[in-house]
Amino acid sequence: MTTTARQRPSADDPRVLLDEGAGLFEPVPPYPPRTEREAEFYTLGDGEMFLNAGPHHPATHGVLRVVMKLDGERIVDLDPILGYLHRGVEKLCENADYHQTIAYMDPLEYVASLFCEWPAVMAYEKLLDVEVPRRAEYIRVLTGELNRVSSHLLAMGFHALDLGGLTPILYSFIERDEIVDMLAAITGQRMLFNYFRIGGVNGDLNHDFMSRLGDWMSRATEQVAANAGLLNENEIFVQRNRGVGTMDRETAIRMCWTGPNLRACGVPFDLRRAHPYSVYPELEFDIPTRDEGDSLARYLLRIDEVKQSLRIIDQCLHQMPDGPVMAKLPRLLRPRPGRAFAAVEGPRGEYGIYAVSDGTDQPFRFRIHDPSFLHLQSFPLLAPGGLIADWMVINASLDPIMGGVDK
Amino acid sequence: MDRALKARLEARFADVSTGPIRQRHDETELRIRARDVPDVLRALNDEPAFEFQLLADLAGVDTGDHMQVVYHLWSTSSADWLRVIADDLPRDDPRAPSVTFLWPGAEWLEREAYDMFGIRFEGNRDLRRIFMPPDYTSFPLRKDFYLPDDAARSPGGGTRPMERTGAPNAVPAGTIRRTPA
Amino acid sequence: MALTGEGESRSSALVVPGSAAVGVPIIVRNDLWSAADPAAYDGGRASDITHLAEVEASGIAARDDARWSGALEIIPTKADYVLDLLRANSLWPLLSGLACCAFEMMSSATSKNDIDRWGMFPFRASPRQADVLIVAGTLTTKMAGPLVRLWEQMPEPKWCVAMGDCTCSGGRYKRSYSTVEGIDRVMPVDVYVPGCPPRPEGLIYAMMKLQQLVLDRRGHWPERAVGPTVPAGV
Repeated sequence: MTTTARQRPSADDPRVLLDEGAGLFEPVPPYPPRTEREAEFYTLGDGEMFLNAGPHHPATHGVLRVVMKLDGERIVDLDPILGYLHRGVEKLCENADYHQTIAYMDPLEYVASLFCEWPAVMAYEKLLDVEVPRRAEYIRVLTGELNRVSSHLLAMGFHALDLGGLTPILYSFIERDEIVDMLAAITGQRMLFNYFRIGGVNGDLNHDFMSRLGDWMSRATEQVAANAGLLNENEIFVQRNRGVGTMDRETAIRMCWTGPNLRACGVPFDLRRAHPYSVYPELEFDIPTRDEGDSLARYLLRIDEVKQSLRIIDQCLHQMPDGPVMAKLPRLLRPRPGRAFAAVEGPRGEYGIYAVSDGTDQPFRFRIHDPSFLHLQSFPLLAPGGLIADWMVINASLDPIMGGVDK
Repeated sequence: MDRALKARLEARFADVSTGPIRQRHDETELRIRARDVPDVLRALNDEPAFEFQLLADLAGVDTGDHMQVVYHLWSTSSADWLRVIADDLPRDDPRAPSVTFLWPGAEWLEREAYDMFGIRFEGNRDLRRIFMPPDYTSFPLRKDFYLPDDAARSPGGGTRPMERTGAPNAVPAGTIRRTPA
Repeated sequence: MALTGEGESRSSALVVPGSAAVGVPIIVRNDLWSAADPAAYDGGRASDITHLAEVEASGIAARDDARWSGALEIIPTKADYVLDLLRANSLWPLLSGLACCAFEMMSSATSKNDIDRWGMFPFRASPRQADVLIVAGTLTTKMAGPLVRLWEQMPEPKWCVAMGDCTCSGGRYKRSYSTVEGIDRVMPVDVYVPGCPPRPEGLIYAMMKLQQLVLDRRGHWPERAVGPTVPAGV
């Protein structure tokens, strides 16, 4: 097979539609390849072509650009290009107080904001040796699990939307709207909650929240079953998902996968049980695991996790102790110089924060570890051999959120 | 705090660790030199006494004096997170060995450390920028890369509180923040 | 961020009522962005609409500058009004959710807050078919190129809504090294929706304001003197 270098068309070429200033949008970078992988990818084989998907495309996971090398409609290789939402959060956090960094964490994974704040406050609590009151821990778990339910239901809806099914997303958004309105009753915000504080949470539960939660919980189980029932046995959905994007155990561990994507490959690793934090040791719930490792398994696993989360919410409501919701801390926080790492199990996997403190009131280094970043890295392993439509399925089933990927 | 883990680490890695093995809350910390990273991590991954097979995070840190690469590992055999700090990377030309031979998933994490700090990972097949555009020339998370915040702290920044950030007021603008991390 | 141009106070023909109470507006030229066609947007002249009361008084809104009437010039007023009604009641947005605000945009499109009541349900995937570009989410310097390309691919008449703090002014990322502090640095904006993120009701209010703009022929669109914003030759 001869490999031909791709020629840039000249300005006289009739295929060039735009004038000199605008330039033809070439997926191939306008410089010689700088790395081995770039050289390998941006060299076309016989009969191959590039297709650029993104950064703006109807798949609603965010601004992800993917350059696909195609042989007909089969993907030969894939190069995801990130950075279209890189906002420099880590650098901004180095110039902000510890309390202010919590607010910077929300827009990372914006559907699961509480899980972005949680490891940050946990890391600071380690640096400050603060003990969080039990009621605050229960509230954190309760609101976190609500956030997980809403995130997974949205993931289910977007999974169907990316496959062309426009109805389940509407059902997902009904549930999501109810949950976020519930959370808005205590946090004040529908989306980027900014609710967790170092040493607890911002405010106690109130009557509005409890009545909405009670209403929702009374129908939650049937609603979730009904929403899942839209897709679980839908022939088209199952056929498009079964066997697509199959990942095996060992490769998933080597690619540093975490979360439902890893558990769908058969690895029962969940930080809530493997490395328990907060009050999870006192709660009874199972860790659903599936063996197949394909997109259908990931989808079904998320539904299973929603059911477990409903169990946890129920227990939290029954076991909620009384007490303060925030530890007493000085307003100006100067932790001891040192390092702390904290990780929680979020809807997409392990969210980790590594905080380095130098004794001042601003973090010295604030490292954010996001799970979707590593899931996207596996596109070149999962997509080749399949069709472009299969790539859409893989993208939807891995459920990345570009806010977290790009920080 | 897993004392047994500390004992095992001290026994095994006494020759390569550059400092005491510290423990705090649920984290154990091991410091090594950058050139020992492949051997140490391979030992931690393979040996049955350790079995640290999950790489939780790979971070670059710029301490102001030098750079570090920090690995966080998890194992079924221990309740602690293990933090391996590869110290002593010079700020001018930071180079570290890549761990992609062990965890291919570290490729993008190393790309990010390169993009943000300029740390060159030897052995990474794809060391190009991941967040910033490919023709960007600076490394944003280095301590000598200044945001407008630092301009606000300078004498030209103004005197009113709105114009100044909450940055440590004793630190003059343009200084590189240093810490013995 | 320091503004690059110095503030110039214009001695305009507008009469500012109660000038002791109301300060002289500072109008800063936008040097950071220019249209490919130098005659567009009044040739770069800063807008002299600084006070809403003046808009009514000066009769700008009532001016008939219907470029698009074409064959219907014989009956200019009524038919253009109908055209404007048609445009206002079926503004089709382009799916351009960049970040968190996209979720509130989607929430405003789904069952509970349904903007299909105003005709805006079809979120087009292709810019060629869209009327409104709702930029929802932080614009980074890397994404600015593709976003402007999307804007230029949209056919006239088109409007732009800056949704969320990040698109209005950079928001919480104003000090960052890689964000664009407000999309009005790269494209003309008709409606700004503050909020982080704005509630769906807020976006609906903004779309209703946009409908009002369309019907009143205000905003950037009627002020464009000549020609579309895409480069010649396309």
